[in-house]
Amino acid sequence: MSVKNVLAVALGIMSAIGGFVDIGDLVFNTQAGAIFGFQLLWVVVIGVVGIIVYSEMCGRVSAVAQRPVFDLVRERTGFGAGLATLAASEVVNLMTCAAEVGGVAICFQLLSGLPYRLLIPLAVLALAVSSWVLPFRWLERVFGYLGLSMLAFAVAAIKLHPDWGHVAHGFVPGSHSGGSLMVYLYFVVGLLGAAMTPYEVYFYSSGAVEDRWGVKELRLNEVTAMIGYALGGFLSFALMIVAGVLFLPRGISPQFLGTPALTAEHALGQVGLLLALVGILFAVGGAAVETSFAGAYNLAQFFGWRWGKKERPAAASRFTLSWLAIFALALLLVMTGYDPVKLTEYSVIFSVVALPLTYLPILLVANDHAYMGANVNGKLANFLGVLYFGLILAIAVAAIPLMLLTHGGQG
Amino acid sequence: MKWVLLLGVLALLGAGCGGGGKLGAKTLSQQARSLQSDAAEGALLAEDIFSGRTTRVYTRQHSADLHKAASQVEASLKTAKATPGLEGKLRRLEAIATRVSTELERLGHASKGEAPALRRELQAAAEASQKIGEGLK
Repeated sequence: MSVKNVLAVALGIMSAIGGFVDIGDLVFNTQAGAIFGFQLLWVVVIGVVGIIVYSEMCGRVSAVAQRPVFDLVRERTGFGAGLATLAASEVVNLMTCAAEVGGVAICFQLLSGLPYRLLIPLAVLALAVSSWVLPFRWLERVFGYLGLSMLAFAVAAIKLHPDWGHVAHGFVPGSHSGGSLMVYLYFVVGLLGAAMTPYEVYFYSSGAVEDRWGVKELRLNEVTAMIGYALGGFLSFALMIVAGVLFLPRGISPQFLGTPALTAEHALGQVGLLLALVGILFAVGGAAVETSFAGAYNLAQFFGWRWGKKERPAAASRFTLSWLAIFALALLLVMTGYDPVKLTEYSVIFSVVALPLTYLPILLVANDHAYMGANVNGKLANFLGVLYFGLILAIAVAAIPLMLLTHGGQG
Repeated sequence: MKWVLLLGVLALLGAGCGGGGKLGAKTLSQQARSLQSDAAEGALLAEDIFSGRTTRVYTRQHSADLHKAASQVEASLKTAKATPGLEGKLRRLEAIATRVSTELERLGHASKGEAPALRRELQAAAEASQKIGEGLK
C-alpha cells in the first residue's frame, strides 16, 4: 500500500477510533470486562462485523451515487419519517457530543490538574478552532492517528498476562457468570449499540463525499472500513481484557473516565498512563468533532443546504453555524454539571433505538439498481445486511426495557 | 406556567427528601458494592504510587474523584435509616464509608512512603464492604 493510500485510510481510522472507541466504548467495554471478564468479547466481534458491513455499504453508496446517507434517508422514507429520523439522530448526536466534550475536559484535567469547569469551555474552544482551521483530511489524520496512542491498552493487555485460554473462550457465546442475565443482556445491547452508533455512518458517508471518493475508490472504501473498524474492535478487546484482569478480581466497577487509564498505568507505568490519556483525549476529541459534524451534515442534507468542510464557511454558512451550534449546546449541557459518563450510557442506549431508522435506508439504497448500477449489493452484502438489520430491530426493541429493568446495568 | 414551576419545585423537593428514607437490603448492598469499588480502586492507585508508576497530577485528580464518590455514599448513609434488622449493617457501612472517604482524600497527596499503609487500609475497607454486601444477598 502506498503512502498516499495509508493516509487515505485515515477516514476509517478516525471513524473507528472516534466512533468505535469513543467515550461510550470506553465506559461499556471496561464495565463489561469488570463485571463479566472476557465473556462478552464475542459481542464486540458481532458489532465490528456489523459496522464494517454497513460502513462499506454507505461508503459505496456515497462513492457511486455521490450522495451521503441522510440525503437518501429523506428521499427513500419521505418527509415525515425522514424528519423523525432527523430529530432522533440530532438528539442522540447532541447527547453524544456533550458526553465527548465532557470527556475531553476530563482528559485535560487528568493531564494538567486544572479545574474541570474551566476546562470545559477550553475543550470546546480547542475542538471548534481545530474543526474550523484544519482541512477535513487533517482532522481525520490528527485525531485518527493520535488516537492510536490507545494501543497502550493492547500492550497493557499483553503485559497483564491474562489467561489466553479464557480470553479465547470469550469469543464464543455461551452461558455467563458474574452478573444476572438481565445485566448480561443489557451489556450485549450496550456493546452492540456503542459499536454501531448512527453518527459513525453519517460521518463516514459524508466524509467519503468530502474526500471526493468515486467509483475508483471502491476498493479503498472496503479496505478503509475493514482496517479502521477492525482496529477499533481490537482496541475494544484490549479494554475489556485489561478490565477483566485488573478490575474483576478486585471488585472495581469503573465509573470514571480516568479509571481505564489505571490499567495502562499499572501495566506500563507513567509512559503507559500518559499514552492512554493522550489516546483517550484524541479518540474522544475525534468523536466530539464527528458528532458535531454528523449533526450538521444531517441537517444540511435533509434541508438541502450547501454543506461540507471543503466549502468556505461563508459559502456553507448554515452548515458551519450548525456544527458550531452543536458545540455550543454541548457546552451548555456539560456545564450543568451532569456526569459525562452517565450521559454516555443514556446516549448509547437511546442511539440503539434510532438504529433501524439509520440503517434501513442504507440497505434499501445499496440494493437499488437505479442508484448503484453494477455496484449494487452482492449476495453476501445482502445476506449480512438483512441479518444485521434483524439484529438491530431486536436490540432497538430491547434497549429501553433492559435499561429500566437493570437500572442502567447496576442490577 | 406558575403551576408548572410549582410542580417542578415539588418534584425536586421530593427527590431531595428521598435520600433520607429507609434503606432495604438491595440498596444497602449497592452502597456496599460502590464503597468496595472506590476503596479497591484507591488501593490499586496506592500500589502504583509506591512503585512510581503514576503521575502526581493523575493521582491527585483521580483520587479526588474517588473521594467525592465515597463522600456521597457516606452522606447518604449518614442520613438514612435501615429497615428493621439492618441497622447494625448500616452503621458498620457508614463507619467504613467515613474511613474510605478520609483515606482517599489523603491518597491525593500521599508520598511514596505513605502509600503502602494507605493501600493496606483501603484494601481492608474494600474487603469489609464486600463482606457486608455479601451478607445482604
